[in-house]
Amino acid sequence: MIDRLGLLAPYATHLSDFSAVMLVLGLPVLLGVLAACWQPRRSWPIVAFSLLPLMALAWLSFRVLPQGGQTWLIELGSLTLQWRANGLTLLLLLLTQIIVLSSAAYAPAYLREEIGSKGQQIWLWPLQGILAASLSLIWLAGDLLTLYIGLELMGLAAVGLMLLPGRVDALAAGMRYLLLALVGSLAFLLGIALLLGAWGRLDLVGLALAAKPGVLLWVAVALLSAGLLLKAAAFPLHAWLAPVHASAWTPVSALHAALVVKGSFFIVLQLWLVLVPEARVAAWLVGGLGGAAVIWGGLLAWRAAKLKDVVAWSTVSQLGYLLLGFSLLIGTAPSVAEVAWEGTWLQLAAHSLAKAGMFLATGNLIYSTGESHVRGLAGASRRMPLSLLSFGIAAISLIGLPPSAGFTAKWLLLHASLEAGYWPWIAALALGTLLSAAYIFRVFRYSFVEDAEPLDYRRVPWSMELFALALALASLLLGLVAEWPLMLLRAAGGGA
Amino acid sequence: MPPFLDALLALAMVALAALVLLDRHLVRACAWFVAFAVSVALTWWRVGFAWLALLELLLGALLTGAFLFYALDVKLWAGAPQVRLARWRDPVPLTWRRGLLRLLPALAVLAMLGMALASLADASGPLRAGGLGLIGLGLWAFALHRHLLRRLLAFNVIGTGIFLILMGLVGDRHPAAGHGLVVTGLLVALLGTALGALLIRRLSGLEVRSVRSAARAGRGGA
Repeated sequence: MIDRLGLLAPYATHLSDFSAVMLVLGLPVLLGVLAACWQPRRSWPIVAFSLLPLMALAWLSFRVLPQGGQTWLIELGSLTLQWRANGLTLLLLLLTQIIVLSSAAYAPAYLREEIGSKGQQIWLWPLQGILAASLSLIWLAGDLLTLYIGLELMGLAAVGLMLLPGRVDALAAGMRYLLLALVGSLAFLLGIALLLGAWGRLDLVGLALAAKPGVLLWVAVALLSAGLLLKAAAFPLHAWLAPVHASAWTPVSALHAALVVKGSFFIVLQLWLVLVPEARVAAWLVGGLGGAAVIWGGLLAWRAAKLKDVVAWSTVSQLGYLLLGFSLLIGTAPSVAEVAWEGTWLQLAAHSLAKAGMFLATGNLIYSTGESHVRGLAGASRRMPLSLLSFGIAAISLIGLPPSAGFTAKWLLLHASLEAGYWPWIAALALGTLLSAAYIFRVFRYSFVEDAEPLDYRRVPWSMELFALALALASLLLGLVAEWPLMLLRAAGGGA
Repeated sequence: MPPFLDALLALAMVALAALVLLDRHLVRACAWFVAFAVSVALTWWRVGFAWLALLELLLGALLTGAFLFYALDVKLWAGAPQVRLARWRDPVPLTWRRGLLRLLPALAVLAMLGMALASLADASGPLRAGGLGLIGLGLWAFALHRHLLRRLLAFNVIGTGIFLILMGLVGDRHPAAGHGLVVTGLLVALLGTALGALLIRRLSGLEVRSVRSAARAGRGGA
C-alpha cells in the first residue's frame, strides 16, 4: 500500500518540477492576499485568476505523471523534509483547487447581497488562500513534520474563517472549535513525539521500515488517530460539527465540509497504512464506528429542524462511508484492498463536490426565503427551481443513485465488503442509503407544499446559482467519467 | 550538572504550573504563567537547548503573556488593573456527567503515555518527569475548568509538557527534527492563544453591549 500512496516514488532530478510545486502551494496564498487588497466585486476576475494555480497544477501533472510519481527532498539546514506527488496527490490537489475556486467565486455576490457590511470580509480571501495551500501541503507531505505544519495551518485558517461573521453565536462556536482543534493537535504532536523518540525519524517511508509492533507503536497510533478523528468529526467525536456550521458563512461551510474534514481523514488513513498495515481488528473497530456514523448521522439529519443542520449531519453520515472504506483497506486481502482503495477515494471526491454544491445550494435557499428551517421552504419549488435542482443533483450523489460518482463509490465499497465478508458493513451501506433518501426527500416534501402562504422571495444572483449548480453537476458527471480518476488512482504506483 | 538542581527545577516548574491552574484570581494566574514560562526557559537552557530557551522566553513568556493580559484588559501602564475582567465562560454547562466524560479520556491518555514511556527505558531525566507532571495537571484543568482563559492556560501547560517529553526523548540524537517540531508547536500555541485572547475580548465586549442594551430596553419599557 505504501507504493500506492506514492511514498516510494523516485527522487526528482529536475529543479523545475519543484518550482511547479511551489507555484501550486504559493499561488493561492498570493492570490488571497491580492484579493484582500483589491476586494473582488464580481466572480469573473476570481475565475480568471484561479486559472493560474490550475495551470501550475497542469504543469506539475505533466511532469509527474509520465513517471507515475515523484519525491522531493527539501534540505533546511540539518533538517530534511520529504514531499511527494503521484496520481492520488494530483487528484486531491485538483479537487482542492476546484472547490476553493467555486466557493471563492460564489463569495462576491454572497458578501454583497447577504452579508452587506457586517463581519470581517477582508479576511475571507487570504484565509481561503492559506486553507488551499495548507491542504495542498497535507496532500504532498511525505514526512510527519510537514504533515504537522499543514494540519496546524489548516486548523487555524479554518477557525479564522468560522469567526468571520463576528456575531456572538459565531464567536462562541468558533471558540469551541478552536479549543477542540488545539486539543486534537496536541494529541497529534504527542504521537509524533513518541514515534520520533522510539525510531528517530519522521519520514513516512523510513518509519514504515523501522517501526516495530509494540506498546509504544500502539500508543502513538492511538494518540495520532484520536486527535485526527476528532478533527475529522468521526463518530462519536462529531457533536461539534453542526453548531460550527450553523453560524458560518455559506462558502466557508462548503469549504469546511468538503475539504477540511477530509484532510484529517487522509492523514489518519495514510498513517495507518504506513505504520500498522496489518491491524485488522483495530481497523474493524474503526469501521464499526463508521457504520454507526452512517446510521446515526443519517438519523440526526432526518430529524434536524434547520436546513443547514440537515446538510451538516449528512456530512457525519457520509464520512462514515470513508471509515468503512478505511477498515476494508487495512489488514484485508489484496483483492479487497484494491477495490476498497478506489471506492474510498472516489467517495471522498464525490462527497466533496456534492457537499460543497449542496451547501452552496442550501445557502441560496436560505438567502432567497430568509428562513433557516426546513419548514420555511414550503412552496419554494415554484420560485426557486434552479436552487432546488442543484440541491437535488447533489443529493443524487449523496444518496448514491446511478449514474453519480457517489453510486460508483458506494458500489465499489459494497463490492469490497462482500468480498471481505464484512456483512454488517453491507447492512450499514443499505441503511445509510435509505436514511439519506429519507432526509433528502423530507426537504423536498416541504418545498413542494403548494398551499403555503406566499413569502417575499429574494431573487438569487446568477453567479450564486451557477457555482452551486456547477459543483453539483461535477459530482454527477464524475460518475460518468469515473474511469478517469480511477485510472489516476491505479497509476499511483511509482515504485510498483 | 548536578541532578539535584535539575530535580529542583522540574519541581519548581510543576509547582508554578499548579499555581497557574489553581489560582482563583485570573490576573494573578496569568502572572504565574509568565513565571512558569521563565522557569521552562531556564530548564531548556540547563539541558543545553539555548535556542529553545530564547524562543520560549520570547514566544512563551513575552508574547503569550501579553495576549493573556490583553484578554483580561489589564494594562501595565494603568497602575492598578481595571476591574472589568473577562467573565466569559464556556456556553455548555459543566455537569458531573460531562466532567467525568472529559476526565476519563484524560486519564486514559496519561495511562497510555506512562506505558509507552515505560517501554522506552533508555532515556530518562527531569524533562520526562516534569513533562508528565505538566501534562497531567493540564489535562485535569482542561477537563474541569469552564472559564475559557483558564482552558487556554491549561492548553499552554499541556503543550509545554509535550515539548519537554519530546526533547527528553529525542535528546542529542536527532536535534534538528525535534527542534523543528517544538518550534512549530510553540508558534501554533502562540497563534492559538492569540486567537483565543482576541475572541475572549470580543465576546466580553459583545456581552457588555447586549447587557447595556437590554438594560436600556428594560428602562424604556418601564
